[in-house]
Formats: sequence, C-alpha cells, structure tokens
Amino acid sequence: MRGLFATGDRYLSEGRMGVSTMPVPEPLRLRVQIVKGGPARYLSHTEFSRALVFAARRSGLPLEYAGTYHARIKMSLSPPIPIGVTSACELVDFKLVGYISAADAERALNASLPGGLEVACCRLLPGGERPVGKLIDTATYQVTLPQGAGSRADWERAVAEFLEKKVIEFERVQPRRTRVVDLRAGVHRLQVVDCEGIDPANGSEAGAGVDTEKAVRFEQNDAGDGRGHSSDFRLSMALDDGTRGTIKPWEVIEVLAGMAGVNRNRWEHARVHRDGLFTRRGDRLVSPMEIGRRKPAVSRAGRKMS
Amino acid sequence: MNGRVPGDIWERLESILLLVEKPSRYLGGEWNAPRIEPGGTTVALAYPDVYEIGMSNLGLSILREVVNDMDGACAERVFSPWIDMEAEMRSADIPLFSLETHRPVSSFDVFGISIPHELTYTNILNLIDLAGIPFRSSERFSGPLVIGGGCGTANPEPLAEFFDLFVLGEGEEALRALVELVTRGKRDGWSRSQMLEEAVFLPGVYRPSSYDVEYLEDGPIKAISPLEGAPAMVRKDLVDIDRWLLPKKPIIPFCEAVHDRLNVELFRGCTRGCRFCQAGMTYRPVRERSAGQVVELVDQLERVTGYDEVSLCSLSSTDYTRITEVAPRVVELCESRGMTMSLPSLRMDGMSAGIAARLGKGGRGGLTFAPEAGTERLRRVINKPISESDMVDALLGAVRAGRRRVKLYFMIGLPTETDQDVEEIGRLVYRLRDAVKSEGMPPPSFNVSVSTFVPKSHTPFQWIAQEPMESVRRKQDILKSSLRARSVNLSWHDRHMSEVEGFLSRGDRRLARVVERVWAEGSRFDSWSECFDFTKWESAWSREGINPEFYLRRERDLEEAMPWEHIDFGVDKEFLKEELKRAMRGEVSTDCRDGECLECGVCSRLETDISLKGEWG
Repeated sequence: MRGLFATGDRYLSEGRMGVSTMPVPEPLRLRVQIVKGGPARYLSHTEFSRALVFAARRSGLPLEYAGTYHARIKMSLSPPIPIGVTSACELVDFKLVGYISAADAERALNASLPGGLEVACCRLLPGGERPVGKLIDTATYQVTLPQGAGSRADWERAVAEFLEKKVIEFERVQPRRTRVVDLRAGVHRLQVVDCEGIDPANGSEAGAGVDTEKAVRFEQNDAGDGRGHSSDFRLSMALDDGTRGTIKPWEVIEVLAGMAGVNRNRWEHARVHRDGLFTRRGDRLVSPMEIGRRKPAVSRAGRKMS
Repeated sequence: MNGRVPGDIWERLESILLLVEKPSRYLGGEWNAPRIEPGGTTVALAYPDVYEIGMSNLGLSILREVVNDMDGACAERVFSPWIDMEAEMRSADIPLFSLETHRPVSSFDVFGISIPHELTYTNILNLIDLAGIPFRSSERFSGPLVIGGGCGTANPEPLAEFFDLFVLGEGEEALRALVELVTRGKRDGWSRSQMLEEAVFLPGVYRPSSYDVEYLEDGPIKAISPLEGAPAMVRKDLVDIDRWLLPKKPIIPFCEAVHDRLNVELFRGCTRGCRFCQAGMTYRPVRERSAGQVVELVDQLERVTGYDEVSLCSLSSTDYTRITEVAPRVVELCESRGMTMSLPSLRMDGMSAGIAARLGKGGRGGLTFAPEAGTERLRRVINKPISESDMVDALLGAVRAGRRRVKLYFMIGLPTETDQDVEEIGRLVYRLRDAVKSEGMPPPSFNVSVSTFVPKSHTPFQWIAQEPMESVRRKQDILKSSLRARSVNLSWHDRHMSEVEGFLSRGDRRLARVVERVWAEGSRFDSWSECFDFTKWESAWSREGINPEFYLRRERDLEEAMPWEHIDFGVDKEFLKEELKRAMRGEVSTDCRDGECLECGVCSRLETDISLKGEWG
C-alpha cells in the first residue's frame, strides 16, 4: 500500500504519513466523490466524516494537517445527508501537501474505506479552489415509494398542486427550536418520472455528473429492506441544500403525501437516494466535479433545470 | 463487509433502524470487522453495555481475534441495545443479534458475556433475556453455553445461577481450549451437559453448579462444597503476553468510542500492591511485553487502523521497566505519523514527571494522576505512599511539558479515613496549584474526580465495612465547600451507585433474586446516571427480604468463609490478612519489582514468576 506512491527518486520527500510523495509548491485539493449505500446509509454526518478521516489516514495520502497540539487533517464535506438516505455523490475535499495522481488516490482510498462506502471518482484541483462545503447549494433526489402508497396519478396531481403554490409553509421541528420555513422557494425541480433506467435528459442526473455506471449499480444492489417498492414511477426533485439553505427530501415528501391523500405509514418507508450535488449558475446546475476544468465538458456540466 | 449469511435477521432489523438513535451501533461492517464464513463453531462475545463503551474494551477485542484466528471457528460482537432499541426490538419481536452477520445469539454455540463491574448485572440478565435464553443455567437444555469472563469474575457469585461456566483470569488460552472442546463435542454428538462436564477440566474454567453453598442461620456462609469430584478451588488462568500479540486488527467503530484510540498493552499485573485495588491483586504476577514488541505493535497497528492517538496501557504504565526508552521511541514514531501518544492515569511520582517531559509537544491537553488520598498517612494505609514533594515534581513536569489540564483521582470512604483526611484533599489541590504559580507558570485547570471506595473481593480490605451513605454525603459536602476555585472542577460519584456496587461486590448466590427482580422492574444501564434508579434496588431488597446492611456494613470476621472462598486468583488469604493488619498500623509494603518478595503466594501457587523484560527482544 505505502509503496504505491513511490515515484522516481530525485524529487522524493518524506511526507507526514511517511509516504514518499512529490513535494508541491502550493497545496493541492483532492476532490472525491463517494457512493454511500448498504449499511453505511445509516451513518450520521459526523460518523461519515469520521470514517473518511480514518480512511484517508490509512490510505497514506499526503494530507495537509492543521493545528499544533492535536493536528487534524484539512478537509471539507458536502452538506449533510439525512440518516438512511443513500447517495451516489457525497463529496469531500482533502488538502494535499504532495502530488498524487487522481487514479492512485482513488485506488488508495477505495482500499481503505469500510463497507458501504466507495469512491466513484477523484480529481485534483488547485489548492485555492473553493471547497465543496462552500460550493454546493443544490441536491437532487430520487424517491421510490412503497407499494400501496398511492397511484402515479395521485402523486402527479400533488406535484402539480405543489408547484402551483407561491409559498408552502412547513413547520420544521428540530431538537432545540421549531420554526416555519417556506418549502416552495427551496424546491427547484419536482416531477414524477419513469423508473425505467436513469435518463439524464429527463432531469434525473445520476451522480454529480460523473460515473453514472457505479451509481446505478449501487442502487440496484441496494433493494435490501424487503419491502415492495413501486416499480413504475418515482419522484425526482432538486432542492436547496448547502450554502443557500436546506430543504430536506422528507419534508417535500410529507407535504406531497398530504396533497395526494397518502397516510404516513404508507410513505414513511420510501427509499430516498441523493443522486446529485450541484452549484447553481443562473438556471444551470453545475457539478463540483466539473468546476475549474480548463475545457468544461459542456454536455455534462450544463444542464437546464426544468 | 460480510455478505448475507443464512439465518440472519438483517431485513427485520432494517425495518426498525430509522426509529432509533444512532443506528450505527447496530450495523457491523466497520473497518477491520472480521469476515465471517458460515459454519463451524460460533461464538458470540457480548459486552453488557452500549456499543461505544463495549468497543473500547481491549479484552474482548483480543478474545475475538483469538477465536477468529482458529480454523473452523468464528467470534462475533454483541452489545446491549440502548433503551430505545430494546423497546423497538421487543415490539418487533427481534431477538438479540450479532453485529457481524446479524444472526440471533440463540443460534450460536457459545455465548460469552464480559462482566466488567457490578452495575452491569441487570444488563447481563437483559442480554440473556433478549437472546431468548432461559435465565437460570439449570433451566437450559439446549442453546448456547452461557459463559462469563472478565474482571467481574473475581466474585461472580451473585451471577452464579445465570451462567453455565465462568472463565477465571485471562481468557486467551481458556477460550481457545473451550472452543476446541465445543468443536469436538459437536463433531462427536455430545449433549450440552456432556460439554459442560468436560469443560471443567480446562484451565480457569469454573462451573458454579458444581458447588453447593450452605449458609449459617445468621447469614454468613457455612460451607462451599464441591460436588462430584469438582476441585476444592478453581484457579485462574494466565498467559504470557509476549506470545499473544493481539489485537492485530482492531475494529474502528463508526461512532466515537469512549476510548477512541489505539491501545497497546505494556504489561499485565502490577507490583505496587495498593490495598484497595482488585486488579492489582487478581492480575498478579506482573508480566511485561518486550520493548521491541511494543514499538513494533504501535507501528503495525497505526497502519491498519488510522488512529491518531496511541495509549500505552497497563495498570501502572510508568512502572514499565523500559518506559524511559520506549516512550521516546513511540513519541518519535508518532510524530512521523501525525499521531499523539497518551498514557492512562499515572502515579504521581518522579518517574511520571520525566515521562511527561518526554511526551513533549506531541501530547494532548491533559494528564491524569491518581494520588487517591489527601494525606500521607492515609496513602500509607492504602499502600500508595507518594510524597507530596513527588506530587509537586510530577505536576511541575507536566506543566513544563505544556499540559494545560490535569486530572486528579481521589477516593473517599477509605478505611481509617477521618474528616480531616477529606479536608486535606482540597488543601492538597490548592497547594499543588500554588506550587505551579510559585514557579512563575500559569496553573493548569484541575479536574478533581472523587469516587467512593467500595471494598472488593481478593483484596486486603475485603473484610471491612463500607462507608455508610450518610457519611459519604457529609464527606462529599466537605469537598464541595473546600474546593471552590474557578480553576478547579470537582466531580464525584453518585453514592447510591456505590451502595449498589458495594452490595453486589461481596455478595453471595442469594443475591441472584434481587438482581432478577431489579431487572424485572425495568432497570437497565445502572452505571448511567440518567438510567440508574436506586428506588428499584431498595424495593427489591425489601421484597426479597434481603438486608443490604449485611453485605455492606458488616465487618467480616477474618475466619469467616467468603462467598469466593473456592475461587483462587493466586493471592494467599494469609497474605491479605497480613496486609490488612499492616494497613491498620499504617505500614507500607514494598514493591516486589525491587527484589524483596512479600510472599503473596501467586508465584509459588501458580508456578510462575514475575517477568520483567530487560532486553529489547
């Protein structure tokens, strides 16, 4: 494992982790897209971040540390995902003090991640790029409803009603405070779509614009809870998440279910999957995995929000 | 991560996971979690507390690897479900399950339960009940062998009826032998009782039902008689820790564990002979790991875990023969890996000061010292004779090395203690603070933690009465009024908890019904202040007609038969009596590292010797 990064001999230096890496004049930023599924979907945000810290340390990446007494690695995470929700696109930035190729980093991290977490792809960025934590403002979700949780027509009607409203007040109950938020303003796309495959043209982006294949494979592996789920349609939504506030998918589902006349015990076992994290540029959703590329891949980065 | 195994209950479990706090406690599949192949002899190793606590237990992680290293056997983890999870499990009719493969514990061959301390007794019963196994050993005719182990076996008698077997002392070799025996028994079609009968010939294995206990009319034990050729005494087992380099692959918990660091054992046992300390008596003789192995283990384990802190643990780490060479080597290793080194609570003596200085800037904020008592007289009584000037040196060493927080452990309720001894704790803390100030340094913040002394079996204080609650309350009040500085944070133990702990620690088999009733009344997690309910214990005492004062406040006659009379941890009873007399005279006993043998009896009876590693090895 540790010998993996030994490249050439003239430029080698001993990094903090004892890994031989090429020194770099400016720190680099390694952006990693991680698939979160299987049992790992039940990890809280803190636990997920802890798992990444341990994996990064084990992987021997040339990590940058901050602090004197108790040094911590410098990392930035995408906005928290609710416990139980699977994801194709959790993002994390690690600051690096040495060079390692994205492919090597992906291999090393994948060999160090516990079950249910898998690297979909990595990319290297200049250290000065905006960290994912300060970049993301939109998340997209796919919701598969349990069998018996209303018909497609019920949900289509509810979606139409939802989108017609100018304001939807929702009482958000949190451990320390309860407040009313406007759901409508934070919902940027909401539609009932076919389940057959994943169709980027239909607005249901798989992954943060990269590696659709892994995300799909993961989703298929994941039908583990033994409950029958609706096979002909699902809900697809793009919600505020991150720097401009957060709307949780469950809140939208709850309001929609109320409009569709579906009881909580019918919908509460819905399967929710986060399939994209983006930053909004005008009316486009741009993936953080694409930002900063010299020649942006227009076909992937520029998608219209409906 | 493990794939699905026949008979697992993952799907049913998943249906309740989102209803409970911290579902990660019940997932399994962490980094380094063993891959379990179905089949073979199956061992469930349980810790009777929640995941975060149980995952910090070094003993269980060692034993798990012992079994998983064997061919045709596997060990999986089991922890107590938290209260919300228990409610969901009971309402969905989900039995206690293992973490690795999520199989019901009742389907295992062996159900090993660690017994860490008295306040987990209700949780132990709850584990057995959730597994769907009958409580009493005499009612079990099928299902796993229920086995207890850990430091709680120093007096397992209150739990004797609930366990088929106990493993006394260190379990590495005993558990291995037991698993081999079960494997052979399964192959040859032995009955459950046949396996239990054969098991008593294994080292350290105690079968409580092979002993009959008779009581005198006024309460004490009349006789403990072995049945059908059982030995008069069951002797603990012990191992050479240089031959057991475990754990090799510690599991990294998903959530932060209470001891969230890499633990590397320096040695087992302790030679200091503090008279209140049960572990110091029951883990004798001292056996050190060679220095080279310690450094190598730190090196290897950091690579496979990713921890950023390593603790060199033992009962008294600064006593390790080569600590002055090993600590700097480990610190150096840590610095190259972005780690820090820490040590568990230290004796407050000159050696600690030196170590604190060597820990250098790599060390985390705090250091913990355990002076135990406020006056030199009382420290002589408990045989922890640390002089105040040594304490000052140790503290100055720590502060000079950049430690900004110092934790001090004290005890109240020690034998011969007076109110003046308690008042002196406060004064001692202030004197230590002033000593730092007079050196022109800002004093560190002090966390003063004061627990209540509970007499334990196999110690020189096993005969004495426990301090009454009222007097403990008064002493706690003295502390509260004498330690009021802003830089001092005082914490103390709930005296009601100490009462229950003391009641059980020297209890006999008659207490089984009390424990069962308290459990039936709904007591769980008695060591958690938010869960502990003293009224349940009080009502169980009165309803079962048990007088707690008999167990707590009675000064035992030196010739009285103790409930653990037949359980042999190697230390000679005559030595304990002698130590008690010396304690009452305020006499100090020497450390047997220094060459003078006090004849505690361990080395001669267990045919062994202390093992100090002078070489790097």
